[in-house]
Amino acid sequence: MGADLFEIGVNTAKLLVIFLMMVQIVPLLVWVERRGSAYIQNRFGPNRVGPLGLTQLLADAVKFIFKEEFIPDKNRRFIFYAAPVVALIPGALAFAAIPLSIPISVETFELFGQSWGPYTFLFQGYEVGIGIVFVLGVSSLGAYALLMAGYGSSNKYSMFGALRASAQMISYELALGLSLVGILLIFNTFDFQQIIDAQKGQMVIAGNALPLPNWGIFYQPIGFILFVIAVFAETNRLPFDLPEAESELVAGYHTEYGGIKMNMFYIGEYGHMLVASGLMVTFYFGGYNLPWFLPQAEELIASYGNVMAAVILHLVFLAKVGLFLWIFVWVRWTIPRFRYDQLMDLGWKTMLPWALANTIITAIVVFWMRS
Amino acid sequence: MAGDSILFYALSFLIIYFALGVLMNPNPIKAAFNLVLAMVGVAGVFFHLQSGFLGGVQLAVYAGAVMVLFVMVLMIFDLKKERDAFSQGFLGNIGKLLAAGIVVSLVINNVILSSDLQLATSNAAKAESGRDTTKILADLIFTEYVFAFEVLGILLLLVAIGAVSISRIKGGTHADS
Repeated sequence: MGADLFEIGVNTAKLLVIFLMMVQIVPLLVWVERRGSAYIQNRFGPNRVGPLGLTQLLADAVKFIFKEEFIPDKNRRFIFYAAPVVALIPGALAFAAIPLSIPISVETFELFGQSWGPYTFLFQGYEVGIGIVFVLGVSSLGAYALLMAGYGSSNKYSMFGALRASAQMISYELALGLSLVGILLIFNTFDFQQIIDAQKGQMVIAGNALPLPNWGIFYQPIGFILFVIAVFAETNRLPFDLPEAESELVAGYHTEYGGIKMNMFYIGEYGHMLVASGLMVTFYFGGYNLPWFLPQAEELIASYGNVMAAVILHLVFLAKVGLFLWIFVWVRWTIPRFRYDQLMDLGWKTMLPWALANTIITAIVVFWMRS
Repeated sequence: MAGDSILFYALSFLIIYFALGVLMNPNPIKAAFNLVLAMVGVAGVFFHLQSGFLGGVQLAVYAGAVMVLFVMVLMIFDLKKERDAFSQGFLGNIGKLLAAGIVVSLVINNVILSSDLQLATSNAAKAESGRDTTKILADLIFTEYVFAFEVLGILLLLVAIGAVSISRIKGGTHADS
């Protein structure tokens, strides 16, 4: 956590702020989702409460908190109550491991008659050397929230929803992991920071500078497409939202939940989306760097100071993440739901072979380029 | 390092608690959830020993994939009969006590006999100061232990083919194709 009181305090505050970031982005995303769906379907959406319907979110929050609770009359109460809390954990843990901007260095300073520092604070919750393995491991625990919800509700529809969800998540986790292997081979590291640093500047092939940024998507286009599809399946959103298919399962695993508990499942789902968008930006779109429009991080630090540079780059990162969150919303209201056997065929018979082929070809090319 | 040992003992306590929960819980699904938590605890110990890669893989493979399948299959079967058979009666209780006793004695045995614990810590420190542990692991797997690694891969492939062929004999979901 840190060497002295100041560092420990700042790091703890950072963890809290990043968790709150994840929680606070949910109402905004719900607004984007409702207005966006209305825009796509040629409706108005929520536009009565406040400017552009923005304060509708506050009304919703009040309603969520004060709604009367309904609890199924069966003796699995602990699991029933634990499931929404468990739903929050994977997203929060994974999001805290993604670097959101450049580290901030603090020089030595005097406070309370004592000299502190120098410190380097990373712009992320905590650094895990293995980056992506940790994120994949933690987010694979997301299936348990759904399984616990389905089991704890003691309801057939919830149970079916939970079973479908876990089968789907396991099937697509393979493709998800394999689609990332290509990018890991190219950048030769697990570490997010090193991956972002490797994507700086312009693309250079055999000494010729190409008019393209040096981003992962130009090295791994197939990997990126597979990753996006697998991530949609992992977050259980349309077109892969079979666990909560209304026409068949009422509302799937959260049939029995209402009020704030239902809201916590939402936060978990949007947290997953946030992590997924963050990973897409980090692996395929250069993280917080923006070539041509913004100078390199070192020049930014020289001209604006460290803190301002970190904030500017963080805003770039957030803008990129926001773009992908919008794509999540866009796809949800554009493509209809798959049938269950189509979903499984897509996962096992299409995505997995393509991901394997992509991995093997990338490995051969990387080996040939390096030797 | 006091903080380190506090973390280690807290994790160990949690792992043992959940492992006992696996044995003592009459409900198979709750036992499986306990096993998941025990595996997450083991991953925590790996992280604590600076071998992050093993910890991450432990989370992704055992806690994330294998145990999800376990829980799923347990939910599909009707386990009332098994639950009644194992949660009642003198024999069942004796079995549980014996199993718990074996676990506790294994743990105590390991604690008493482990002078290797110090060695592991110093190795981890060495790895941290030198290269990434992931790279060391990869080097070892693809040079010194390459035969064992490949044999394990073939074994897993055989298991997968065997499972598929058995499920196809019995029909399966795509029996006609």
